[in-house]
Amino acid sequence: MTAFVVRRLAFACVTLFAVLTLVFVLVRIVPGDPAQLILGDQASREAIESLRHRLGLDLPIGEQYAVFLSGALRGDWGVSMVTGQPVIREVLRVLPWTIELTVVSLILGILLGVPAGVYAAIHRNRLVDYAVRISSLLGLSFPPFVAAIVLLLAFAIALPWFPVISAQSGSFAAWYRSITLPAVSLGLISAAYITRVTRSAMLEVLSEDYVRTARAKGVPWNAVIWRHALRNALIPIITVVGLYLGILIGNSVLTEIVFSRPGLGKLLIGALNQRDYPMLQGMMVIYTLVVVLVNLLTDLTYGFVDPRVKLK
Amino acid sequence: MRKLGIAIISAALLAAAPAFAQKTTLVVGMGSADAGKLDPHIASTTPDKGLLSWMFNGLVRIRPGKISPEFIEPDLAESWTSNPAGTEWTFKIRRGVQCHYGYGEYTAEDAVYSIKRASNKATSSYSNDFSAVDKVEAIDKYTLKITLKNPVAGFLGYVANVNGGNQVCKKAVEEMGDNFSKKPIGTGPFMFAEYQPQQFVKLVANKQYFRGAPQIQEIIYRYVPADSSRDLAFQAGELDMIYGKQDQTWMDRTAKLPGVKVLAMEPGEESVLSLNITVKPLDDIRVRQAIAYAIDRKAIVAFKGAGSSREAVSVVPSGYLGTDEKAPLYPYDPVKAKALLAEAGYPNGVTIKAIHTTLTGMQTLIEAVQAQLKKVGINLDIELVEHATFHAQIRKDLSPIVHYQAARFPVADVYLTQFFDSASIVGTPTAVTNFSHCNVADAEIRAARVETDPVKQKALWNTAQEKIIKAVCGVPIYEQLQLWAWTDKLDLGYELQGSLNLSPPITEKTHFVK
Repeated sequence: MTAFVVRRLAFACVTLFAVLTLVFVLVRIVPGDPAQLILGDQASREAIESLRHRLGLDLPIGEQYAVFLSGALRGDWGVSMVTGQPVIREVLRVLPWTIELTVVSLILGILLGVPAGVYAAIHRNRLVDYAVRISSLLGLSFPPFVAAIVLLLAFAIALPWFPVISAQSGSFAAWYRSITLPAVSLGLISAAYITRVTRSAMLEVLSEDYVRTARAKGVPWNAVIWRHALRNALIPIITVVGLYLGILIGNSVLTEIVFSRPGLGKLLIGALNQRDYPMLQGMMVIYTLVVVLVNLLTDLTYGFVDPRVKLK
Repeated sequence: MRKLGIAIISAALLAAAPAFAQKTTLVVGMGSADAGKLDPHIASTTPDKGLLSWMFNGLVRIRPGKISPEFIEPDLAESWTSNPAGTEWTFKIRRGVQCHYGYGEYTAEDAVYSIKRASNKATSSYSNDFSAVDKVEAIDKYTLKITLKNPVAGFLGYVANVNGGNQVCKKAVEEMGDNFSKKPIGTGPFMFAEYQPQQFVKLVANKQYFRGAPQIQEIIYRYVPADSSRDLAFQAGELDMIYGKQDQTWMDRTAKLPGVKVLAMEPGEESVLSLNITVKPLDDIRVRQAIAYAIDRKAIVAFKGAGSSREAVSVVPSGYLGTDEKAPLYPYDPVKAKALLAEAGYPNGVTIKAIHTTLTGMQTLIEAVQAQLKKVGINLDIELVEHATFHAQIRKDLSPIVHYQAARFPVADVYLTQFFDSASIVGTPTAVTNFSHCNVADAEIRAARVETDPVKQKALWNTAQEKIIKAVCGVPIYEQLQLWAWTDKLDLGYELQGSLNLSPPITEKTHFVK
C-alpha cells in the first residue's frame, strides 16, 4: 500500500505542475492590470508603471515563469500583490474555516442522507420513499445562497437563535452558533445528493442473492440492512462523498459570502477581481493538492471497506 | 440531576443569547470582502478610505459632516499663511500631537516626510495632486513651508485629511517599511488594533488624541459583502452602522425600520458618458449631439430614485468649487436627435459599441441609457465585462463610449483635468481618465488652474465647461449619492451631510446615547 500511496503522490506532482503552468499563463492573458487596480483610477501612469516594475510584471512571461518556478522550488510561493503577505500564509489563515465548514456539512449530509436513502430503499415505492425522493430533489434544486438566506430569515431574524454574521470564535458556544446555519445550509444540499446515491446503491444490493439468502437463514432484518447490505453499497456512496468533498472546498463561496465567513472561495474571488497573480497561483496549488489528497483518501477507503480491492 | 438541569438551561441560554452591541463599541458593516491596502497614500476604494480616515489627520480638515472646501479648518496645523501669489504656504504645526503607539511627537519633520511620500510619483496613488509642489521644508520644529511652482486652485484641499493630505509619522513608516499597510500609524482619534482576514479590522480609541479622548472605545469594521446579510445583521442589532445597497429601494425599505437613520450622503458620484471624438461615427459632432439630445436626465433620476440621486448639472459634479450649476446642457429632444442623425447620414439609425462593467449600479444605468438611445435609432451594443477587465479595456481605447461614475476632490480643476484635459488622454504617457480624447478646453483648464483671481478663475472654468459640453466630449447624466444607515442610538456628534472619504466621520465626539 505504501508503494501505492507514493506512486499516487508522484503522479500528483505532475498534475500540480501542469495545473500551475496553465494557471500561470491564463491569468496573465486575461485582460486587467493588477498595478492599476491596486493604485486606483487617480494614480499617474508613472506610479502604475513603477508598481508594475516592482511586481515584476514588465518582464516577458517566460522570465516571470522562471522567476516564479525557481522561488517555488525553494518553497517561496511569492507574496500577494495586494497585501504583501506571503501567499501560503494567507491561504493557511483561511483554510481552517473552509475545512471546518466542509467537514461539518458533509458529516451532517451523511448523517441525514445515508439513513434517509436506506429507509427510502427499504420502503421502495411507498409514501416514505416518495417523500424522501421529492425532498432530495428540492435539496438539489435549491441554490445554496437561497437556502442560506431562508435559514437566516428563519433562525437569525424571526427566531433570534443564531447570529447573522456567522464567524465568531473563542468559546465552544460561539463556534457552535457560528457553524450551525452555514453547515445546515450546505449539509442539506449534500444530504440530497447522498440520499439519492445511497438509495440507488441500496436498491441494487437488496436485490442480490446473498441478501435473500441471509433473510432465509433467519438473520434479523436490521442486521441484513446495516451490516451486510449497506457495507456493500458503500463504494458508490464513498465515491460521491469523496467527489463532493473536493467540490465543497471550492464551491462553498456563496455560503461564505452570505454568512460572512472567511473561506478559500472568497479569497479566490477576491484574488480574481484584483488579478492577484501570486495568490491565484498559490491557491490553485492548494486546491490541486486538496483534490489529489481527497481522491487518494477515497481510494484508500475503498481498500479499507472492500477487502476485494487490492491497492497496488 | 438538578445540576445537570441548570447546566443544560445555561447552555441553552448561552446559545440563544443574542449579541448585544456594547455602548462603547461601534460595529460598522462594510460591503466588501476584505481589506485592501491600508495605506492612506495608496488606498483608493471606499472601504479602505473610510477606515483610514478615522486614524489619520491632515494639515487641515474639512469640518466633519461637510465636503466643501469652504469649511476648511485647522487640523494638525493650527494656523497658516500664504504669500499674495499663493505660491508659498507656511503652516504652524500644533504642539504635543502624539503619533499612535509611542512613535513620538508629530512635528514639521513628519509633515515634510508625509508630503514628500504622497508626492512620490513612483509609489503614491495621489502624486498628481502634488505635481505643482516645488519644495517642502521644515523651517523649525513646528513650522512647515511649502513652495509651489505655480498657484494651485484649492491648494489647501490637497493637504486636508483626504488622500495624499493624510499625515503619516516618519519614524513609524521608516521602521515598518512594507508592514506599514498592515498596521497603519497615524495621529487620529482611533488606532489600528487588530486585523482578521475577511472578517474585520478593529480600532481602539487613541486616548492621547489632541482633541480629547474619544467617547467610543472600540470600532469593529466588519467586512460583510452580501447586501442582504448586511441588512439582516443590521436588523438583528449585530451592526450599528452599515454601508447600504446603493439603491433607492434599499433606502425606502431601511427607512421604514424602527430606530434607524438613513442618509443619502454627499459627494454624488457623477455618471458621464464619454464619447471618443476620434472614432467613427462619433467623430461627427452631429452624432454626438444626437446622443446628448436623446438622454432624458429627469427620467433617469426618477428611475434611479429621487431620494438617492439627482440630475447632473455639468460635466463636473454639482457643488464643486467652479461647477457651472447652470451649464448649457443639451435638453431632452428626441425629435432633434433623429433629425441630426439623418443629417449625419444615418436616417435608419446607427450601432455603436460600448464595453461596460458588470457592477450592478452602473449596469442598470447603461441599460436605461440604451433604452433611451434606442428610441432615436441609436443601437447601443453593450459588451458586458467584469470590472477589472472593464478598467483595463477602456484605458486601451477599446470602447468608443465609456460610462464612468466618479467623484473627485470638490474643485472643478481636478475633474476637468483628469477627464477632459488632452494631457490625460488614455494611452499617452501622462494618461489619467480622458476617454473622449477631448482637447477643446485645454487653454481654459490650464489657465484656471493657476489663476489667483477667483472671479477670473470661475469665468475660465465656466468657459471650459461650456466648450466641453458644446463639443459633446461627454454627456453628463446623473449623480449617485452615498447611502448609509445607522441606529439612532448613535449620535455622530455633528451634522452629517457628506464626507470626502465616502464614510461618515467618527470623531472624538461620536457616542451612543442611552
